[in-house]
Amino acid sequence: MAITPHDPVGQSPHGPETASEKPRRVRGHAARRRWIKTLTPWLFISPFIIIFSVFTAFPLVFSGYLSFQEWNPVAGLSSMEFVGWDNYALALDDPWMWKSLYNTAWLAIVSGIPQHLIAIPVAYLLVTAVRSGVRQFYTATFFVPFITSTVAISLIFYTIYSGNSGILNQWLVAISKWPVFSSFLGWVEEAMPIRWLNSSDLIKPSIAFVVIWKYTGFNIVIYSAGFLTVSKDLYDAAKVDGCNAWQQFWNIALPMIRPFAFFAVTLTIIGNLQMFEEPFVLTSGNSGGVGQSGLTASYYLYLVGWEWLEMGAAAAISWVLFLFIAIVTAVHFYFNGKKGLGGDR
Amino acid sequence: MARVELVNLSKSFGAVKVLHDLNLTVEEGEFVALVGPSGCGKSTLLRIIAGLEEASSGEIVMDNEIVNELSPRERNIAMVFQSYALYPHMTVEENIGFNLRISGVRKAEVRTLARAAAETLGLTDLLDRKPSQLSGGQRQRVAMGRAIVRNPDAFLFDEPLSNLDAKLRSEMRDEIKRLHQKVKTTSIYVTHDQIEAMTLADRVVILKGGVIQQIGTPSELYRNPANSFVAGFIGSPAMNFVDATLETSGDQVFAALKDGTRLPVSEAYADLGPQVQLGLRPENLHLAEPNAENAIPGTVQLLEPTGAVNHLKISVAGQQLTVVDDTLTDLALDANVHLSIASDQIHIFPKEK
Ligand SMILES: Nc1ncnc2c1ncn2[C@@H]1O[C@H](COP(=O)(O)OP(=O)(O)OP(=O)(O)O)[C@@H](O)[C@H]1O
Ligand SMILES: [Mg+2]
Repeated sequence: MAITPHDPVGQSPHGPETASEKPRRVRGHAARRRWIKTLTPWLFISPFIIIFSVFTAFPLVFSGYLSFQEWNPVAGLSSMEFVGWDNYALALDDPWMWKSLYNTAWLAIVSGIPQHLIAIPVAYLLVTAVRSGVRQFYTATFFVPFITSTVAISLIFYTIYSGNSGILNQWLVAISKWPVFSSFLGWVEEAMPIRWLNSSDLIKPSIAFVVIWKYTGFNIVIYSAGFLTVSKDLYDAAKVDGCNAWQQFWNIALPMIRPFAFFAVTLTIIGNLQMFEEPFVLTSGNSGGVGQSGLTASYYLYLVGWEWLEMGAAAAISWVLFLFIAIVTAVHFYFNGKKGLGGDR
Repeated sequence: MARVELVNLSKSFGAVKVLHDLNLTVEEGEFVALVGPSGCGKSTLLRIIAGLEEASSGEIVMDNEIVNELSPRERNIAMVFQSYALYPHMTVEENIGFNLRISGVRKAEVRTLARAAAETLGLTDLLDRKPSQLSGGQRQRVAMGRAIVRNPDAFLFDEPLSNLDAKLRSEMRDEIKRLHQKVKTTSIYVTHDQIEAMTLADRVVILKGGVIQQIGTPSELYRNPANSFVAGFIGSPAMNFVDATLETSGDQVFAALKDGTRLPVSEAYADLGPQVQLGLRPENLHLAEPNAENAIPGTVQLLEPTGAVNHLKISVAGQQLTVVDDTLTDLALDANVHLSIASDQIHIFPKEK
């Protein structure tokens, strides 16, 4: 397009300008339509907002408020009485509180780490070494414990662990009579009946085993998804670069699934720190079992709130637990977050 | 360095036969280019040589040892992948040095060697980047770096320059040529680009549908293509093919075009006929006077200037021929012209069924 000699003076010499001289009119919408436009998105997300407010935001705020009150829920709302920081002081003073936090941390570590140490190699083998049909079959099988009710699982383990009639003890006795095993399982006969759920030393390991059994399959699913994202090309390149099978796993596969590992570990941390059902059922709901060895923080919280009807103290404990989980997760994010969230890719 | 030999090599994926009885010897220090259309089995062949894929039958021989059973690591072959296959979690430097690290070279030395390779490829400023932060061309160069940092017995390149722009591609081509002249490592180089094949390779292998069509030096392939596929594949713009009938009168053999034009051809072709295809290279056809020797009448359909030469599309006997005109004659569309070609530049192939 060329500038004609008739162009008005004062226009830029750098390019054609075709603006008309009439003042510009703004095309827009009537006020009512603008309102509708603004409101529509809110309308669409309102179901979430309502549910979130009722079931998350309100309980959150209310429990914060409650943690400064003394309240027996049976006596009605009017029995609430402001007590300041007393609930917190009381909770932090209670040896059961500290014991439950210790148990929670112990169980989180002992039942958490093996889940991943088992799930990672199993998932790797399922993805790299077997046909996809076989993989799906095994993955589904391993996943079944995760979708089974914790109470049902815990009840079954309760009978397995039973001192006199439990399968576990019967097997141990049987195995200890086998030729090779008898040399180092000779003590079994004398130790019988082993009370897996009724001795303070054995409760936590027994609970941890159930938790590992239940959640490893879930982690296998996550890690399988992770290993499936690693393109075959990378393994080929690694082979050409001289990697053997172990080096391929260690140098390629493992670093590649870091975001998945980060996600899985985060879920394990948060889930394990809230552990409740397994210890509750396995200790028959009996104040955390012998010597409170199976008393976790959530369990303690339950006792305070619903057995002793101290809602204010329970709310305070729940905030302490929240703080505990937040700190552990924050530490995890601090050390693993950048690589774990794929920020390094 | 090694001599690589393929003996009766075949490969099938299930029922699909991808490579048919290949026989090829790549001499020690030789640079062989492998060209062919998409899907003809070039990458598969390289993967078999590298040890990433098993041959269905036949042998891979390196320096007189059958290596079919050996792992890629034991074969000591470096490969540049068509898809780059860079490690996303490693920096450029770590990617390049990975092989050395795995082979137990000391850290400081890995660093020096990786940096030297990066220097050669113009990657020095990018050493700390992750592959996701690189352009396609830069990734391709990192993939090259991963190969050249090593001292392998053979190089396998799978279209290593396909993603570069024209200028960088020709620079890298020179770089590869220089590198090969320096280290003289046996190389097999897959490419779609016949110019790349012709300029780089000592010998070129043309593959079609998993069958080797011809093996030869670039000029052999250009001068004496074994069949019309090779003839059409080598040379740019591509060779023109014209239907013709062979006629013998006395001891002279003529190729008669559909419009009646008769071109004298070598009598060596006599028993191909009668129905044949003439192969006329665009650069061998010239604009000529009507009374010139071997003059073929035609009309101008299209004129494409490329700067130094014009590409003409000329309709001859109902078929369209491409002509490279270096005289830059100004021609009107639909103008009647005559083309001529020297008799010894006419290739004749049996008519394809
Ligand atoms: N794993 C596989 N399973 C089945 N068929 C395959 C497999 N790999 C390759 N093929 C087939 O083998 C043929 C050759 O593939 P290949 O990758 O070697 O082609 P190519 O010559 O490298 O092509 P391109 O130039 O497009 O890269 C193709 O028809 C392809 O579909
Ligand atoms: Mg390919």
